[in-house]
Amino acid sequence: MKLGVIRAYLKKEFLDIVRSRIILLVFIMPSLITLLFGYGIRLEVTHARTVIIDHDGGKLSQTLESSFSHSKYFTLQPTPGSEREALDLMQRGKIDIVLIFPEGMERHLLKGRPVTLGLYVDGAFPSRGSAMQSYVQGVLLQSASEIGAAAPQISLDARYLFNRAMRDPETIVPGVIALAMLIAPAILAALLIAKEKELGTIFNFYASPLHKSEFIVAKLTPVFLLHSLNVVVLFLWAVYLFDVPFRGSFTLYLLTGMLYVFISVSIGLLVSIVASTQIVAIVATMVVTIIPGFLYSGMLMPVSSMTGMSYGEAHVYPIMYYTHLLYDFFLVGDGLADAKNRLYLLILAGYAAALFTAGALLLKKRLA
Amino acid sequence: MNVFFTVLYKELSVFLRSYGLVFVVLFFFLFEVFAAGNGITMDARNIRVGVVDDTPGVISNRILGHLHVPQFQSPRRYASQTELMRAIRNKEVIAGLLFDHGFERDYLAGRPVQLNLLLDATAATQTYMAQSYLQNIVLQFENVDIPLQIATHRLYNPNSEYTWFMSVTVMLAVATMLSIILTAVIFVREKERGTWDIMLLMPVDPRTMIFAKTVSQVIVVTSGIMLSTAFVLFATFGVPINGSFWAFFLLSSLYAFTNAGIGLFIAAVSKNTVEIAQKAVVIVLPMIFLSGSWTPIFAMHPFFQYLSIVSPLRYYIEGTINLFFRGTPALELWPQFLGLALLAVVLYSFGIRKIGKLF
Repeated sequence: MKLGVIRAYLKKEFLDIVRSRIILLVFIMPSLITLLFGYGIRLEVTHARTVIIDHDGGKLSQTLESSFSHSKYFTLQPTPGSEREALDLMQRGKIDIVLIFPEGMERHLLKGRPVTLGLYVDGAFPSRGSAMQSYVQGVLLQSASEIGAAAPQISLDARYLFNRAMRDPETIVPGVIALAMLIAPAILAALLIAKEKELGTIFNFYASPLHKSEFIVAKLTPVFLLHSLNVVVLFLWAVYLFDVPFRGSFTLYLLTGMLYVFISVSIGLLVSIVASTQIVAIVATMVVTIIPGFLYSGMLMPVSSMTGMSYGEAHVYPIMYYTHLLYDFFLVGDGLADAKNRLYLLILAGYAAALFTAGALLLKKRLA
Repeated sequence: MNVFFTVLYKELSVFLRSYGLVFVVLFFFLFEVFAAGNGITMDARNIRVGVVDDTPGVISNRILGHLHVPQFQSPRRYASQTELMRAIRNKEVIAGLLFDHGFERDYLAGRPVQLNLLLDATAATQTYMAQSYLQNIVLQFENVDIPLQIATHRLYNPNSEYTWFMSVTVMLAVATMLSIILTAVIFVREKERGTWDIMLLMPVDPRTMIFAKTVSQVIVVTSGIMLSTAFVLFATFGVPINGSFWAFFLLSSLYAFTNAGIGLFIAAVSKNTVEIAQKAVVIVLPMIFLSGSWTPIFAMHPFFQYLSIVSPLRYYIEGTINLFFRGTPALELWPQFLGLALLAVVLYSFGIRKIGKLF
C-alpha cells in the first residue's frame, strides 16, 4: 500500500461524492427515515373502531358502553341496524370490533345466572386481533369486578423499566438507527463499485498498477467516514429531538456505531463483487438488509419470543446484536459492565473481521 | 402501437437476459417471502415471565397456573429481585412478577394487596400485550364467580396463523421495492449512458416509449407476485384466498403500474443510479412501515393518517387483506382501485412532463 496513491484516490472519491451531490442524500436519507419512523409509528393499538350492539338496553349496558367510550383503546362507531350489517362492515374492513350485549343481560346477572357476551374481532392482522381481544376482555373484567360484591383485592402495579412513561420514540428510535445504518452504507458502498463495473471504468483499476488493497481503502473510506458521521447525527436527533434518554457512554456508542457501519460497508463490498450491474447491486443489497433488518431488529417483536428457526435466524444477522447494544446505550446504561454486552460487541467485531476479509479476498483485480 | 410492442419486447428480453437480475428478483420474491413467513410470529406468544416468590406459594402458584401456552412460556423463577432485573436487562424475560412475602398472608386475611409487575419497555408491542394479559389473569383469578362469559370469535384468521399474514405482507413489501427500483433504473440507465436524449430526438411519441418501458417492468413485477403467490403462499403455506383471485391479479397489476409511476417520478428527478437507490429507500421504507400492516393506520398520528392517503401501498394492502382474508366481494373494492388509479394519473402526468422532454 502506498500512502500517496491512496491519498490521491481518496481525494478523487470524496470530490466525486461531493460534486455529484450524493453527499446530500447520504445525510438526508438516514435522518429522514429516523424522523418519519420516530413520529409515525405507534406501537400500541389504540382507537380500535368498535361497534356495540345492545339488545339489553339496561343501566348495566350503559355503564359498560361508557367505559368503552372513555378508553383510549376504543373509538365507538354508530351502531348499524343489525348484527348482519355490522359483520358486513367488518368484512369490508371498516370496523374492527363488534360487541353484542344479549337481551336480559342485566336481569340474568342480578339473579346470578350465567350470561354470554358475543365478541367479534377482526383477525386479519393477527397481532392487532390479539391486542384488541385482550383489551376488550380487560374492560369487561374490570367492569365486572366493579359490579361484583367485593372490590378487587389484588391490584397489579406495573412498572416499565428503562422507559418509565412508555414513550414510543424510546422504543422505536434505537431500532430505526440500527436499520438505517445497516441499509444506507451497504447500498452506497455496493453502488460505488458496481457503478464502475457497469460503466466500464473499473478497467482503469484493472489496468493500472493500483493495488487491490489501495482500491478497497480508497473506495470504502469515504462511505465509512460519512456514515460514521451519520451515527452522530442520528444520535443528535434521538436525544435532542425525540428526547430519548442516553444512559451509556458516548465514546462506546460511537465506536460501536463505527464498527457496525464497517460491517454494513463490508456487506456492500461483498454484494458488489457478485453484482455486475448497479440494479443487481441495489436489489441484492435490499434482499440482505431491508427485510431481515425489519424482522430481526427487535422493533416489531423481541427476539426472546421467537421460536425455532426464526430464533436461530435472528442470531445470524448482525442487526440483532447491534440493536441490543443500542437499547443498552440509550435506555439501560450498563455498557461494558455487562457480560452480554461485551459478548455482543465481540460478536460484532467478529462479523466485521469475517465479512471484510471475505470481501477483500474475493475481490479480483481482473475480468471475472 | 408497433413502437410500443417493440420497446416492450426489447425491455423484457433485456431483463430476461440479465441472469443476475432475474436471479435476485426471483430470490427476493420466493426465498425472502418464504423465510419471513416461516419464521416470525409478531403475536404476543411465548412471552417469557420471570417470577420472584417470597410467599409460601399457595396463592402465587394458583395465579401462575393461569400463565399457559400459547401466550406464555412456563415462568422462570429467580431468587431475588436483583437477579430478576438482570434477567430483564439481558432480555431473557420481558416481564417479571414479584410476590413479596406479605402477599399471601394479607390476601388470605382479606386485606388489599399489591402485586408488582416489572416490564421491559424495550420489547415493543409485546410489553403492552404482556401487561394486558397479566392484568386480565389477575382480574379473572379474583372473579371466578362472576357469571359473565365472553364468546370470542376471531374472524378471518381464527387461529392467528402468522405465516399467512407475514408471507402476504412481506410479498407486498418486496413488490413495492422492486416495482419502484426496477422502473427507475431502466430510465436512469439510459440517462447515464446518454441514450435517453437520442430516444427523445427520434420521431416517436415519448409517451409511447415511456409507457412501453414502464409496462415491461409492470409485467416483470406482476409475474413475480403471481409466482410468489402460487409457489410460496398457496403451495407452501396454504394461505386461503376467500375473495376473487382475478380481482387480486388486477389489483396487483394496477399497483405495479402505479408504483412504476413512482419509479418514473424518481427517475425524472435523478441523474444517476446511486441517487435513485437513495431516494427509493427514502420513499420505500416509510411506505412499507406506515402502510398499516405493522401498526394500524387508525392508531397513527393524524398527520400520518393523511400522509398514508398518497401511499399506493395503503390501498394495495387493504385490498389484498380484504381479498385474501376477509373475502370482501371484488366490487366492494372500488375505493382501493380508484385510489391507485388516481395516484397513477398524478404520478404519470408529472413523470412524463419532466422526463419526456428534451429541454
